[in-house]
Amino acid sequence: MFELLFKYPAAVFSKGDLVLLGSWPAWLLGALAAAAAAALAIPVWRSLHTRRTPLDRARAGVIWGLQTLFVALLLLVLWQPAVSVATLRPQQNVIAVLVDDSRSMAIRDQGSSRRDRAVEVLNGGLLDQLKKKFQVRLYRAGGELERIEKPDALNAGVPVTRLGEGLKRIASEATGLPIGAVVLLSDGGENAGGLDLPTINEIRRHRIPVHTVGFGREKPARDLEILDAQLPARSLADSRLSAQVSFRGYGYGGRKARLMLKEGEKTLASREVALKPDGAVQTESLLFNAGGAGAKAYHIALDPLDGEENVQNNALTRMVNIESNRLRILYIEGEPRWEYKFIRRAVEEDRNLRLISMLRTTQNKIYRQGIDDPKELEQGFPAKVEELFAYQGLIVGGVEAGYFTGAQLELIRQFADRRGGGVLFLGGRAGLAEGGYAQTPLAEMLPVVLPGRKNTFRRDPANVELTAAGRDSLLCRIEDDPERNLGRWKKLPYLMNYQDPGTPKPGAVVLADALPTSGGRLPLLITQNYGRGRTAVFATGGSWRWQMQQPLEDMSHEVFWQQLLRWLVSGTYGHVISSTPKSVLSDEITVQLRTEVRDRTYLPMADARVEARVLGPEGLAETVELRPDPVNEGVYLADWSALKAGSYVVEVAAKRGEEEMGRDLLSFRREDGVAEHFHTNQNRELLEKLSQQTGGRYYQPGQVSKLPEEISYSEGGISTRETRDLWNMPVLFLAALMIRSSEWLLRRRWGIV
Amino acid sequence: MRPRTVGFAVLLAACLWSALYGFQQRRPRYYSLFYDNAPVVTPPDAGEKTEFAFARMRYPSYGRGPGGIWAMRGNWTIDFPKADRHFVQGVRRLTRIHTRSVEEIVDLSGDQPYDWPWLYVVEPGHWELTEAQAAKLRDYLLRGGFLMTDDFHGTFEWKVFMESMIRVFPDRAVVDLDNSDPIFHVLYDLAERFQVPGVVTFGTGRTYEYDGVEPRWRAIFDDKGRIMVAICHNMDLGDAWEHSDNPEYPENAASLAYRIGINYIIYAMTH
Repeated sequence: MFELLFKYPAAVFSKGDLVLLGSWPAWLLGALAAAAAAALAIPVWRSLHTRRTPLDRARAGVIWGLQTLFVALLLLVLWQPAVSVATLRPQQNVIAVLVDDSRSMAIRDQGSSRRDRAVEVLNGGLLDQLKKKFQVRLYRAGGELERIEKPDALNAGVPVTRLGEGLKRIASEATGLPIGAVVLLSDGGENAGGLDLPTINEIRRHRIPVHTVGFGREKPARDLEILDAQLPARSLADSRLSAQVSFRGYGYGGRKARLMLKEGEKTLASREVALKPDGAVQTESLLFNAGGAGAKAYHIALDPLDGEENVQNNALTRMVNIESNRLRILYIEGEPRWEYKFIRRAVEEDRNLRLISMLRTTQNKIYRQGIDDPKELEQGFPAKVEELFAYQGLIVGGVEAGYFTGAQLELIRQFADRRGGGVLFLGGRAGLAEGGYAQTPLAEMLPVVLPGRKNTFRRDPANVELTAAGRDSLLCRIEDDPERNLGRWKKLPYLMNYQDPGTPKPGAVVLADALPTSGGRLPLLITQNYGRGRTAVFATGGSWRWQMQQPLEDMSHEVFWQQLLRWLVSGTYGHVISSTPKSVLSDEITVQLRTEVRDRTYLPMADARVEARVLGPEGLAETVELRPDPVNEGVYLADWSALKAGSYVVEVAAKRGEEEMGRDLLSFRREDGVAEHFHTNQNRELLEKLSQQTGGRYYQPGQVSKLPEEISYSEGGISTRETRDLWNMPVLFLAALMIRSSEWLLRRRWGIV
Repeated sequence: MRPRTVGFAVLLAACLWSALYGFQQRRPRYYSLFYDNAPVVTPPDAGEKTEFAFARMRYPSYGRGPGGIWAMRGNWTIDFPKADRHFVQGVRRLTRIHTRSVEEIVDLSGDQPYDWPWLYVVEPGHWELTEAQAAKLRDYLLRGGFLMTDDFHGTFEWKVFMESMIRVFPDRAVVDLDNSDPIFHVLYDLAERFQVPGVVTFGTGRTYEYDGVEPRWRAIFDDKGRIMVAICHNMDLGDAWEHSDNPEYPENAASLAYRIGINYIIYAMTH
């Protein structure tokens, strides 16, 4: 129909430029149209006043408009409108037909498999039509791009889809081959790094339009799919971890499914979740104990429901490095108090925490506990970078700011900022505002703006209430179940004392409030990130009552303090810290190794020699040298190919000359044949976006008959620019006829013929 | 109105006034057995809220039943309150512990003991804990409380002490403390100690009572090796604190008694 009226396919108009072939200038067309409009207005104006029955203004306007439009149309035709469009020269261009041959194309979701439907489309005339005008090269796209002779060679057996890689190869071939266009038949399931901007830019640079033909259902009838699972890359042994699992379902809205987390055959966490309506992404958390040290592979799965079409996408794996470090926390307390004793007792059982404390028992005496060496802290609070930075965390109890020298205060600030340590400030009669910290460099690192007054510490009872953030925080989880956890917090005995910590800063998170029994509400537990580290305020010295006033078997006090102190130090790293962007490579090969190196005083170290020793499957052992990142000082990078599926362990060592600065371990895993089972719906959005950005068009299989004609209009390959007349388009004559007819009919109706 | 009625009204008013005064003071008045019952002036800062208070345990005396009138004037009141108030002055002066100027009387019932993680018991050689009190004390100690016993002497009083203590901890041994134990070094180094005498020393120079010639520094430990019950047998630290203002009492004994008490408190607040 479009072609009948407009003479050419829509692609001509969308890709071409409108031109006027007449020898007169374009401005004259506008001028004459304006003059005609003015001239036609005169008789209409007169008719408003001279007729015996004056014409209605609106009706006169309509008549004038139709007449003006008619004259303008005639003038336009006189100026010879045309469209200039680039077209591929017949038989001189290559059309690259890429067919996705990955396993997801074997999914039978609309009667036949996606692969069969693609073959049907190709053999049903598309290839023959293309071959009439172009040279056609047929490729199997999946892993590596491979040329095939006939569509029958497709078997939907490639375990991975790398559309980006395929398009990159076509772009590189375009430098020596006149590739006029790409036709991509796929379900859009790209699972190996995605279509990145450089790939698309490369295609655009060669002006090769990518036309896409989408296969597969855009949404399944009955399926559950895990989309992602967020876990920390590393953690302390025996820590409570949270896996944030996002998933969606179709056909099971309102039903319940069991979400679980396993390590090997052992179930670590399991809970029932109510499924949201079709297509809605929902995120649920699973809490579990990390267990002992080692590189752990956790399997997160949704139990299959009856009638589920694809159960392979119900589970995925994540790797976490569980470390057995005993992290050292220095606790300075200004006076003997019960909180000190009970904090020590609470973390005594934690194998990953070591509390080294110094307590001012008298004006001139310090009692040290937990020290490794009799000389440790012998001279009092550390005054040197190396001494303080040897700890991972610091607790500043009820000790006044004046106890520290100016240099020590600055050192504490840098302990969080530069070292990346955690600093916890406790309430007390010499803590926070009472201790005069508002006027010190530490005020900057606190998560609160301290009150500008004294008498903020009260030895009066106060209950505790979790805030919304506290209810979600792992730090405040005494119980795994959120509701039961909330109940436990509500039942906690009141605090023996509390302190007004001031106003939380904009970046801070208040996890719990103190509710004095005398009335009011004050922030109690406030955290924030500061520099490379983190700081927190726990504005009381009276949580020991949670231990003394609860049954012996109740572990609320111990769990709270262990989790708070683990949070304080678990993000404090050594001089060398390594990471990979993903812990599991799903059908990917390349992994980026990233290592950050800091010197003895934790300043970025630019002159290190960094080597990674990679141990992999089947006895693989390889040494990789990491190169300095030109953008980030102290960061070293290397891209490495994990050629075999399996688990990999990497030991990274950094040296300056012969001096070793430190070592770090990381692990990752490559899994093949997994990714294909995820995102199995047709990714129409990706195919449409690819077409749109490269000047192509997205087709459904039933629309491909138009493709051979429309594909001709391309600037890629060897093309010529054609000018095609538009003045004789049927639609123009039809328009002229309709304008005149409309005017006549209206005149008849209004009686002004 | 008849004079008799007026007298009755005056008497009633006086009673009411006394009750109201007592309530306002919130500090019940007990009378100590045997010794200095001279009126004690309540310090002006008695109402101060502090981190630490000298918590004196009230218990039923041996053979007298658990309560009633004997609870008001039992063995638990020995040296009270002068010893307590003298001693806390020392704690205040010599340490950074925020200490109340007056003592707290603690019964082994309800939740009250759990708010006072350090308890002092005098003359446990005359105590007789009920089953409920023994269970409460066991629970208190296992949660993190600390008990210091003092002023009991000789074989007989040890036997009485253990009759109740065995019901608190049937399966925990009482062990002699080594001089190197942290409790003797947490603030003062007290490896060298001697028998601290009670008032028996006045006029006699004797330092022991009954057959308790040798001072015994004993303890019951928890599963982590921390002292829960510090047992001072064959000595009288309470008398030393009480009579530390008496020129006749040996200064060195008073000094040692203060040091031991302070070490025990700091140990309890750090272990």
